[in-house]
Amino acid sequence: MLETLIELAPEILKATGETLLMLAICLSAAVVIGGALGLLVFLTSRGQSLERFRAFNLIANGVINVVRSFPFIILLVAISPFTRVIAGTSIGPLAASVPLSIAAIFYFARLIEQTLRDLPRGVIEAAEAMGASPLQIIRHVLLVEARSGLVLAVTVLAVSFLSYSAVAGVVGGGGIGDLAIRYGYYRFQTDVMVITIVLLIILVQSVQFFGQWAARRVDKR
Amino acid sequence: MPKTPSSTPAIELRAVSRRFADPGGRTVGVHPTSLSVPQGEIHGIIGFSGAGKSTLLRLVNLLERPDAGEVIVHGNTLTRLSAAGLRQARHRIGMIFQHFNLLHNQTVADNVALPMRIAGADPARIRERVQVCLDFVGLAEKADVYPGRLSGGQKQRVAIARALAPEPHVLLADEPTSALDPRTTLDLLGVLADANRRFGVTILLVSHEMEVIRRLCHRVSVMEGGRIVEQLDIADGRIPEGSQLASWLSDFGAVGPAASPSPTTRPDEAAAPHHFALEAAHA
Repeated sequence: MLETLIELAPEILKATGETLLMLAICLSAAVVIGGALGLLVFLTSRGQSLERFRAFNLIANGVINVVRSFPFIILLVAISPFTRVIAGTSIGPLAASVPLSIAAIFYFARLIEQTLRDLPRGVIEAAEAMGASPLQIIRHVLLVEARSGLVLAVTVLAVSFLSYSAVAGVVGGGGIGDLAIRYGYYRFQTDVMVITIVLLIILVQSVQFFGQWAARRVDKR
Repeated sequence: MPKTPSSTPAIELRAVSRRFADPGGRTVGVHPTSLSVPQGEIHGIIGFSGAGKSTLLRLVNLLERPDAGEVIVHGNTLTRLSAAGLRQARHRIGMIFQHFNLLHNQTVADNVALPMRIAGADPARIRERVQVCLDFVGLAEKADVYPGRLSGGQKQRVAIARALAPEPHVLLADEPTSALDPRTTLDLLGVLADANRRFGVTILLVSHEMEVIRRLCHRVSVMEGGRIVEQLDIADGRIPEGSQLASWLSDFGAVGPAASPSPTTRPDEAAAPHHFALEAAHA
């Protein structure tokens, strides 16, 4: 096992780098685009300040549900023409980041919307009574009061997409999952399989630990 | 005929109505109702649960949009304003709530600063007003504390400081003492009366607690079934005999299902018959 580890060290490092790159891209896209989408879906829901755009709410909800219905591996294959347009290729970590980002955007939008729904209505109402605009409500109320929930949502997202990124290995996406499939699965190298799984466990544990620590730190309730 | 500012009512509701279905499917709300509150007055609204008290109050800053009628605050017809115009008008209408509605992830000082930040006030001015208002409610030393570490009474004081920070013309109070014990209630009524005296802010207060109304208000509107059925002058703390309110007090001892025990009675009023009824019910 130790020899395998030393022998494959360059490959393992490269794969870890690729996994982190895919995660960085899809998490950024999810937080920026998915976060905005989640906020809009929440604000256009019944009883909120942009309720007059309920049509948007219904459509966005439908789209979120449709994208989330796709098994990830099917989504990966189904949108490969689109991936080629965006990334110029359909293999490698950059290409895999395209379907990962799309899945993450809609997953995170739903997480954010649900986190915001847990906020007491009265606090938002108090801001409305002060004459706050929807943007001010987002900035001064939603992002402030829900911040520990939002940190936990990013944590859940990161853990889920760490394992989604491993699926990308199936279609030559690179990363730790790719390593596991190429050596561990196709070549029956159980020790490589064990190494990659231990690596993934360490990553998940650290993300979860750090996320919970950060959420506690920002929570003053 | 031109009106001088002092003759303009602080709050004027003209035939406002608002109907909606409650969870049980019944139609509730406010029937066409008018109310005029002069500047500087503390006006109470009392009634049983479901009488439409809170809805009426929330019509004043258009948290509830009336189905018909006009809402005029400080000479400004809110029902005719654009969304941006309404936000502007709301900067000068303070509101406090039964459950305080403070931001728990912000310090006391940042909570008090919030309405002024929303209104786009100058930072130096905000600091000054936060200091003044926290001093006024006696919580200057709690400026850097988070609300989670305050008692209910202290939270409501912060909420009052927050409402007063932008120097509102009008303060709306929705059951502000209903989550507090009798002693804290009494302290808080003192703060509200002080705010009215010192800053001249007009207060419209909803409560189902007779003692709250009697101690604080100059006039009271009695609501039943979505209408104001009676308006009484109670500036001297006495409820006129023969009024609807007096008869409720003698029938029920109090108005509303959850009236808390009355604070210590003022001795000069203990002789009035309806107060005997009230005290007897609490004995």
